[in-house]
Amino acid sequence: MLSPRENLLETIHGGHPDRFVNQYEYMSLIMGSPYSMRNPYPKKGGPNVVNAWGVTLSYPDNVPGGFPVHTPDKIVIKDIEEWQKYLKVPNVVYNAEEWEPFIAMAEKVDRTQQFAAFFVAPGLFEQCHYLLEIQNCLMSFYTNPDEMHELIDCLTEWELAYAAEVCKYLKPDALFHHDDWGSQQSTFISPDMFREFYKPAYEKVYGYYKAHGVELIVHHSDSYAATLVPDMIDMGIDIWQGVMTSNNIPELIRQYGGKISFMGGIDSASVDHPGWTEEEVRREVRRACDECGKLYFIPNASQGLPMSTFPGVYESLTREIDAYSKEVFK
Amino acid sequence: MSKIEEIASAVERGKAKLVPGLVEEALDEGADPVEILNKGMIDAMSVVGEKFKNNEIFVPEMLVAARAMKKGVEVLKPSLGGSSDISIGKAVIGTVQGDLHDIGKNLVCLMIESAGFEVQDLGVDVPAEKFVESAADPDVKIVGVSALLTTTMPAMKATVEALNQAPNRENFKVMVGGAPITQEFADEIGADAYTPDAATAASVAKAFVVG
Repeated sequence: MLSPRENLLETIHGGHPDRFVNQYEYMSLIMGSPYSMRNPYPKKGGPNVVNAWGVTLSYPDNVPGGFPVHTPDKIVIKDIEEWQKYLKVPNVVYNAEEWEPFIAMAEKVDRTQQFAAFFVAPGLFEQCHYLLEIQNCLMSFYTNPDEMHELIDCLTEWELAYAAEVCKYLKPDALFHHDDWGSQQSTFISPDMFREFYKPAYEKVYGYYKAHGVELIVHHSDSYAATLVPDMIDMGIDIWQGVMTSNNIPELIRQYGGKISFMGGIDSASVDHPGWTEEEVRREVRRACDECGKLYFIPNASQGLPMSTFPGVYESLTREIDAYSKEVFK
Repeated sequence: MSKIEEIASAVERGKAKLVPGLVEEALDEGADPVEILNKGMIDAMSVVGEKFKNNEIFVPEMLVAARAMKKGVEVLKPSLGGSSDISIGKAVIGTVQGDLHDIGKNLVCLMIESAGFEVQDLGVDVPAEKFVESAADPDVKIVGVSALLTTTMPAMKATVEALNQAPNRENFKVMVGGAPITQEFADEIGADAYTPDAATAASVAKAFVVG
């Protein structure tokens, strides 16, 4: 039996996997750093917090994650023309002692079995709309393109500085990087706009990680983004996690399999809801695996972490994927 | 190209700086203000909505087009009389209690406003009682209810149930939308319509009111 790591590599390289890669089994997430310790995140159901960038985040009890609050008083960059005045970029450079607990975390990962995947969120696009408010952000691509380029350059420099520290101390061999680029029906911005504003930035960031020991870039966007797949490949993404059914995944696999792999195929909303059932999970797992096949595909709910909103759904998916593997990989 | 066609083209391309001048020129040339509004702006926004629905344009283009129309309407308003004269009805729109998502709801507000409605944006995290209270206004023709999470679908159900109990229920239509919402769910909870995107929401709302 192949290790989760070997089985993943066989799957994404068009080899001979001995089962479906089961959701996140191939990665052990490293979710902390001295920076993240200083970047508060609200507790589920707890009070709002202001993070290291000045963004106010709310995490009501009944939602899957924290969410920026954008009442006019809470918007960080109130005027894109003066973004430098409003933005205070947090420090990422800390001494070795501060990194020690996270180094221990990274060293614990048995890399013969799993990838040690460093977690980064939010990404560059999300950070822009966290700071500006989403409509202001989207309008600014038209009204203030120069300032948007400057802001993205600044955020990219920050990501690169963070990447340098992460690679120096933790030496991850995988990166799990979030940045939602669309709704379930479309990308938020056109592919051309994406290519102008974000692609060069991601080529730098993911290029840096790849040049410094990271073998696997996993990018999360639980959305439609099929039109960006060729760009994802150029940017160095190995696995697009969160790919929703609206993307016509079998067609993407046919066109791009071997250059990039697709992790998802089960829309969280279809299984992770108040009235969920084991039967529904079984049906969705089988449908996704039958449609997408054994190679370049990892069955997984589109949510961007190994968890579910409703207790038991994630574990049920894991059981069903294992069970179906036994039938398909006889 | 006629002046009204120029206005329509400028609105479609989101040229907020050009539109007010073009509207002034059209008025100076004696164009009918209602025609400027209907053909130069509302029709242009409906083209924008169609293109958005077909993924030919994206959210930024829709936002700048709506902003351009708004600038034009500011110039046009004095020639049109009061807002009640140009509005085809009132729409109240909000995201249900417990849900903080606003971009989808905001796009629906923009498109419905661009279709000729007077819009009251209730914001996010809106309790069912607030929807019902707002719907009590006899001018309200459309109540739009948005939910973006599977966890807030029960709040949508409770909101629609509360609206369905309203004594003036026959005065307005209830429309629902959001990522996890489906036609089946809309039918199950007793909404009048489910629409998958902002452009369709605007055309369905308009069809409810003007037929």
